[in-house]
Amino acid sequence: MIVTKKREFNELMENIKNYGSVFLLGCSECAALCGTGGEPEVKAMKETLESEGKEVTGTFVAKSGCQVLGTKVELKPYKDAVEKADCIIVMSCGAGTQTAVELYENKPVFPANDSLFLANMTRLKMFDERCSLCGKCILDKTGGICPVTRCAKGLVNGPCGGSRDGFCEVSKDTPCVWQLIYSRLIKLNQLDSLKKISQPKSKSGHPRRQIPEDMKSKKEPIKKA
Amino acid sequence: MLNSKQFVVTAEIGPMKGIDTQEIMEDAECIKNKVDAINVTDLQSSVMRLGSMAVCHLLADRGIDTIFQLTCRDRNRLALQSDLLSAWVLGIRNVLALTGDHPTLGDHPDAMPVFDLDSVSLLRTISRLNEGFDMAGNQLKGAPDFFPGAVVNPGADTEAAFEMQIIKMEKKIEAGARFFQTQGIFDLNLFEKFMKRVEGFKIPILGGIILLKSAGMARFMNKNVAGVFVPEPLIKEMEVTKDKVKTSTEIASHLIKGMKDLCRGVHIMAIGWEKKIPQVLAEAGL
Repeated sequence: MIVTKKREFNELMENIKNYGSVFLLGCSECAALCGTGGEPEVKAMKETLESEGKEVTGTFVAKSGCQVLGTKVELKPYKDAVEKADCIIVMSCGAGTQTAVELYENKPVFPANDSLFLANMTRLKMFDERCSLCGKCILDKTGGICPVTRCAKGLVNGPCGGSRDGFCEVSKDTPCVWQLIYSRLIKLNQLDSLKKISQPKSKSGHPRRQIPEDMKSKKEPIKKA
Repeated sequence: MLNSKQFVVTAEIGPMKGIDTQEIMEDAECIKNKVDAINVTDLQSSVMRLGSMAVCHLLADRGIDTIFQLTCRDRNRLALQSDLLSAWVLGIRNVLALTGDHPTLGDHPDAMPVFDLDSVSLLRTISRLNEGFDMAGNQLKGAPDFFPGAVVNPGADTEAAFEMQIIKMEKKIEAGARFFQTQGIFDLNLFEKFMKRVEGFKIPILGGIILLKSAGMARFMNKNVAGVFVPEPLIKEMEVTKDKVKTSTEIASHLIKGMKDLCRGVHIMAIGWEKKIPQVLAEAGL
């Protein structure tokens, strides 16, 4: 899931200072789990904005804000409310915000949240970054624990010399991931997999796209600026 | 040098923040006839300073053999390779490949940590350049012939960290490292155990010597510097002494003497006390 964090409210108010009315769009997936864009948060935001003198023309919590077509269909009944609003505030991740941007090309769209990282939720509202979507998985070689993401330097050939008592030189609260990898490989009797030199990762360019093979020959749905 | 039987001595100079090179040049002049080569650090502790390549070049012009320290922290693979070629044409022949400290530890903590390569792949890259090719397999017009080295931390404080230092050391050798310099050593027994462990690698190792300046510095390193452990009796010696320089010199020269039978040489990190290195070496009988 994508972890999001609510932005400072005054930052949001600064963004919308020239607009009198807003439409609020939340997301029932990650943002709901993070407490930054589910039903209760959207409701609370509506009340806060109203108390600040803004008119809220409507609210909706999308099933998956990152799903452009699905969200478009879901929002059809809210056409009038969106049209009436001077701007849209999106309470999801940056992907959801840009879904709204794509759907409403003449309407200013503002993010209510900062998007942080792809996370595993380890306990309620506790999130750990374990995968950074690097594009080429090496978990098969590292005991299933990712050093690209969990080593502060993203080292793929073993630890730097900076760990102390098994913790990272960057943060005393973070275990050295190579320590975790070592312990797991010892348990699995697979330490030899660390002895082979790993090639430097290819840093693929952004933005990335993934299109099914059978779609590649067809006309690609690229919007021109 | 490392091919001979001679006990090798290297020392280290850390460039300053700024362009006034007078002091480091004096330090270098003071030790140049006492050591076989001088390492120049690459933005040590992730603090922005004058660069290693420029200082190595200035020293090379004065006839000093240098070891160009090159970290993966600030340059991607394009810049690393280009800087290596630049270093070669500026007269730099030895290079020490390091991962580098994380930027958050330095004075520009918001800097982007690069680490496009790691120390192992940097060594492999140096080997490829020596063979006349870049990382992408393109042929070079004129190939360098660097003597690449690497570092190892014999004082890694957990079993896992220690074992992984050994595994990584083997990878560095496979990738082309031809000598090693170690983190500062204060316990000769532990160092001897480490040397026994890596005996089979048959690679020259220069034991690290840090000049202690005070008991406070020793405690600080024990708490904050990975892999450095100053035993309590040495800290006590520094605490009670009336002459810190004399005691520090004695401790260092004693360690060097002890290393003579254990490894191929020493690497002295004087951290500001470079001018005291000749005295240390004289006391160690070098």
